[in-house]
Amino acid sequence: MKFFENRFTYDYSFPAVSLAYFLRYPNPYSRHVLTTDVIERHVDPNTQRLHTTRLHLKKSKVPSGILKLLPKGMGGSDNSGQSYILETTVVDPNEGWMTTESRNMEWTGILSVVEKQHYQRHFAEEDTRALDGLSIDKNNEHTTVRTTVTFKSRLGNGKLLGRKKTESSPGQVDAEEEAPKKGFFSSLSTAGIQRTIELIGVSRTRDAVLKSKEGMNIVLERLRKGGIVGVLEGMRKDREAAFGPDGPWKRVWLNGSGPKGRGIEDDD
Amino acid sequence: MAASIAPECNEIKEKYDTCFLKWYSEKYLRGNTTSNDCEALFEKYRSCLSKVLKERGIDALLEDARKTNGSETDAEFLKKS
Repeated sequence: MKFFENRFTYDYSFPAVSLAYFLRYPNPYSRHVLTTDVIERHVDPNTQRLHTTRLHLKKSKVPSGILKLLPKGMGGSDNSGQSYILETTVVDPNEGWMTTESRNMEWTGILSVVEKQHYQRHFAEEDTRALDGLSIDKNNEHTTVRTTVTFKSRLGNGKLLGRKKTESSPGQVDAEEEAPKKGFFSSLSTAGIQRTIELIGVSRTRDAVLKSKEGMNIVLERLRKGGIVGVLEGMRKDREAAFGPDGPWKRVWLNGSGPKGRGIEDDD
Repeated sequence: MAASIAPECNEIKEKYDTCFLKWYSEKYLRGNTTSNDCEALFEKYRSCLSKVLKERGIDALLEDARKTNGSETDAEFLKKS
C-alpha cells in the first residue's frame, strides 16, 4: 500500500469551489474524461447534507510498466482504453465542507486507486485576527483542500496463483516469497510486483493532481467572470476543441474502443 | 455540460444538470436545503440512464463497487471478464 498527499488553497469561497467541483468537466485539462453521469443524489433529511454518486468514463491505458508485469491478455489486447470511475461526494453547506471519494471500478485486483478530498471553507478574518489594524478584506473567504490517494495492488493475493485467498500482511508476504512460483511471477516476488505497480500509480498521480487543480482553477475563473453561463460557454468551446461539434459520444460509441494512439493517459 | 454515457439521455441530462446547478447555487447553498425542484427531471434522466447501464452491464459493476469497496481478488476479477 502506498499513499500520496497534497494540500492546496483555492482563493475562492466554498460555495464557488463546491459548485466548480460538480461543474468541472469538461475543462481544457480534462480531455480524457469522456462522459459524466449522476447515478444517485439526495439530501439527507436529518443532516441537510447533499449526497451525490457520479459515474465518469475516462480514457486511460494501463501504463506500459504495469503491462509488462501482467500475464498475456490481462490488461493487454482486451484493454478497451476506457475505464469507469465511481465518485461519491457529501456537501455540508452549513459547516462549509465537502468530502469526495473517487475509485476505479475495474482492474481493482491489479491496482485499486482511491482518491479522497476534503474541502473546507476558511474565513480570512479568522486567520488574520492577529493582524488587527491592517486593512484586510473581511469578505475574503478561501477554501482549502486536502487530497490523499491510496494505492493498493492485490495482484497475486487471490486464487489466480492457486493460493488461498489471503489478506496481505507482512508475515504472509514473507511466506509468499518463499513459496514456489510458476509462470509470470517466477522472476519477481509477489510483494515486489505489488510494490512496483503501486509506485507507478504514485508517480502518475502527482501529475494528475496538479492537472485537476489547473482544471478547477479554470472553471472557477469562468465562474467568477461570467457565472454559470460563463462556465457553460467555456465548456462548449472546450468540447468543440477536443472532439469537434459532434461531441465525444460519437467517437466513443462509433469507434468502439475510442480514439487510438493519442497517448493521453488517465490523469485524474 | 459533460456528456452522458448514453447518447440518448443527453437531452434530458442537460435539462436536469441545468436545473441542478440553478437549485444548488441559488437555493441549496443559501440554506434552502429542503426544496426539491429537480426531482421530476432527475427521475426521467435516471430511468433513461438505468436502461443503458443495465444493457451494458455497468449496473452490476456499480453494485460490485459499492459492495466490495475495492476488496476484489484476482479470482473475482477474472470471473467477470
